[in-house]
Amino acid sequence: MSVAPPGPRPAVSSARALRMAAPIAVALALVPLVLPPYSSILLAYGLVMAIGALGFNLLLGYTGLLSFGHSAYFGVGAYAVALMVKYLKVTSMELFLVGAIVASIMITALFGVVCVRYTTIFFGILTLALSQVLWSLAFKFFWVTGGTDGLRVPTPSLFGGLVTGAGDKITFMSHAYYYYVLIMFCLCVALMWVIVNSPFGMALQAIRDNETRARFVGVRIWPYRWVAFLVSGVFTGLAGALWVPLNGLTTPDIMHWTFSGEIVFMTVLGGFRSFAGPIVGAVVFNYLKTYAVGYTVYWQLLLGVVLVALVLSLPTGIVGTAGRLLARFQGRS
Amino acid sequence: MAVEVNRRSFLSSLGVSVGAALATAGGAVPVVGVAHAQDKPKGNIPDKPYRIGHMTFFTGPAAVLGEPMFKGQQLAADEINAAGGLLGKRKIELLKADENAGTDANVKELRRLKLSENIDFFCGITSSGNTPALGPVAEELKLLTIFVDGCTDFLFDKAVPNPHYIFRITNQQSADGVTCALGIAQTWPKAKRVAHIHPDYSYGRNAFDHVKIVMKKLMPPSEVVSEGWPKLGTTDFASHITKAIAAKPDLIVSSVWGGDYVAMYKQALRYGMFQKAKFASTIAFGVAPHAIGKDHPEGVLAGVHSNYHFTYPGGDKWPLNKTFVEKYHAKFNEYPNFQAEGGYMATYMLKTAIEKANKIGGGWPDDEAIIALLEGMMMAGPGGYVYIRPDNHQGYKDAVTGFSKNVGDYPFPVLDPDRIITIPIRNITAPPGWPKGDPTSTYTWIDKTWPVVKA
Repeated sequence: MSVAPPGPRPAVSSARALRMAAPIAVALALVPLVLPPYSSILLAYGLVMAIGALGFNLLLGYTGLLSFGHSAYFGVGAYAVALMVKYLKVTSMELFLVGAIVASIMITALFGVVCVRYTTIFFGILTLALSQVLWSLAFKFFWVTGGTDGLRVPTPSLFGGLVTGAGDKITFMSHAYYYYVLIMFCLCVALMWVIVNSPFGMALQAIRDNETRARFVGVRIWPYRWVAFLVSGVFTGLAGALWVPLNGLTTPDIMHWTFSGEIVFMTVLGGFRSFAGPIVGAVVFNYLKTYAVGYTVYWQLLLGVVLVALVLSLPTGIVGTAGRLLARFQGRS
Repeated sequence: MAVEVNRRSFLSSLGVSVGAALATAGGAVPVVGVAHAQDKPKGNIPDKPYRIGHMTFFTGPAAVLGEPMFKGQQLAADEINAAGGLLGKRKIELLKADENAGTDANVKELRRLKLSENIDFFCGITSSGNTPALGPVAEELKLLTIFVDGCTDFLFDKAVPNPHYIFRITNQQSADGVTCALGIAQTWPKAKRVAHIHPDYSYGRNAFDHVKIVMKKLMPPSEVVSEGWPKLGTTDFASHITKAIAAKPDLIVSSVWGGDYVAMYKQALRYGMFQKAKFASTIAFGVAPHAIGKDHPEGVLAGVHSNYHFTYPGGDKWPLNKTFVEKYHAKFNEYPNFQAEGGYMATYMLKTAIEKANKIGGGWPDDEAIIALLEGMMMAGPGGYVYIRPDNHQGYKDAVTGFSKNVGDYPFPVLDPDRIITIPIRNITAPPGWPKGDPTSTYTWIDKTWPVVKA
């Protein structure tokens, strides 16, 4: 039996969720028009990580499996793009995304077969070990992967060549590419919403809450977990592919388990028991780390203190706590 | 080769000399330091501070090597500010960033510094894994940059083959491996069995390649009997040390650096590694000098990476070095390493270019004018002359290495002043016009143009 704590319960109808999401999407669309370029580039990083964390939370929040190896799928997406540039001279972003999705399906399908037979700590350790295997391949096969130097990815062309990165790269990234990421982000959020509210998503939550009962009502545990693993990995792989052009290069750092730890951190920060938690967590974490690194050489200490404070004071994360405060406020008025 | 060449005569044709006098340069070469009689700047100079973003290792085992780079720049900035600032008006403001955050975070941070903090100039960088990542980003940002280190040949060979905004002041990495190997060929020409221990990333592989190619030319009977590739930032070298010793080498070559090297030599002492084989390093004395203990073995070939050790040129031979070391020690209560010299030098090269541009055009010069004047600049600094080649924006300085020895009152070993090895840099690096090669241009240049010597 799984011992994972209770996860998200969709207390919100799809129509209401859409009403809540629409103004946020509009606000996000206005960012490049009203804020300086740096803000939209930084936010683009946050949105990309949000896609990855959203994928991650399908396993943690909805299926009750804590993966410590999601850096692997993020890295697979990123390296798929970089290798397409290196060997096939591709520059189209759409082809990059297709390539990253295909590559992450192949890897997650394989890793999933090995991992989903186990739960709890055994699942976590297996995912971690497999991601470290990929990391060491990226690290050691330097004639293919560039080793620690990584692989460079030039400015891609968007929408089948309609938008190219000719000219100033900063303008490209803070406008054209930002909107590209925003569109992908909205699509991913919508798709994930549909997934978690589908019968499949319900079955995952049933497995999470009580594996034995789920089996008794006829849910085939193993295939459901495997598909969840696959979907989760592909979302994270897609995030990796969107991240590379933003960063300009990919290095083995993003395959290392410490990066998996960051994905876990983001999700816990936002709250893994709600749908929006990982999104908020990823965006906030992105600001937190960027400014911590920028303002103090003790940034690691600062992040550590935040994590400890978070676990002790906000066990349900930012979204969970905000929701509770809101409910209390509404109850009083 | 048609003509047989003797090793000793080839080494002397390269200008490899032990305990030699300094090379001299003619003409008016600008020197570091604030001149006493400064020309009054022409035109209107704004008094807005000149913001410099400086990124190096402030945390982690690499900090003992990297952090002095910031101190070197701070010393220069304080001197310049005390005299009124750049062109007498613009005070230098330094912004710190920690390179230890990882390559990807560093890319983000560089963008933040330019786009959000509006820095005018970027400086620093220790790891050769970081310049190929940050170089193209600085070019995209159109940000005037002098990398102090991060010396991989890959940066200007491949990553940014036609640099415009970025420069680098310390020597290329290939010069490290070549200098070390020439020191070996000069000192232990009979060594046959060679074991290698290098950090597992571009610097280590670069050192390995260049030591190997030079040995192939100058010590043809030598062979590699063991390779160890510890991960960068590791502190456990036991398995690599025992593996190297087990291969029964005559010589062990290493390019492990910073805190890693300190950990390695201390562990190697326990295994008696330095008694079992000769030891040569490209960068052992690259760390801040006080990081090396009195227990460090004497007589090993202790490279200093970018051709500066604070004891050379010593005494009164080279006043720029004497005053630099004194000022640095007075300010920080420690001795400078090559990074400190690099950071100091980079700041003064920038200042000189700005002053020259002002003399020509008046007012605060734009970056294009500063770049044009940095290209081809030659300047005398604490470690000797640095020349910035216009074609690849790389700084060149004659190579220096030597042997560890406990001398005088220093609480740590230094380079034996009687056995300093110097080599003119142009004899060991690919010249302008040589095609870009793989793994480096210098590698292919040595491979194709150096003879294989007679033993």
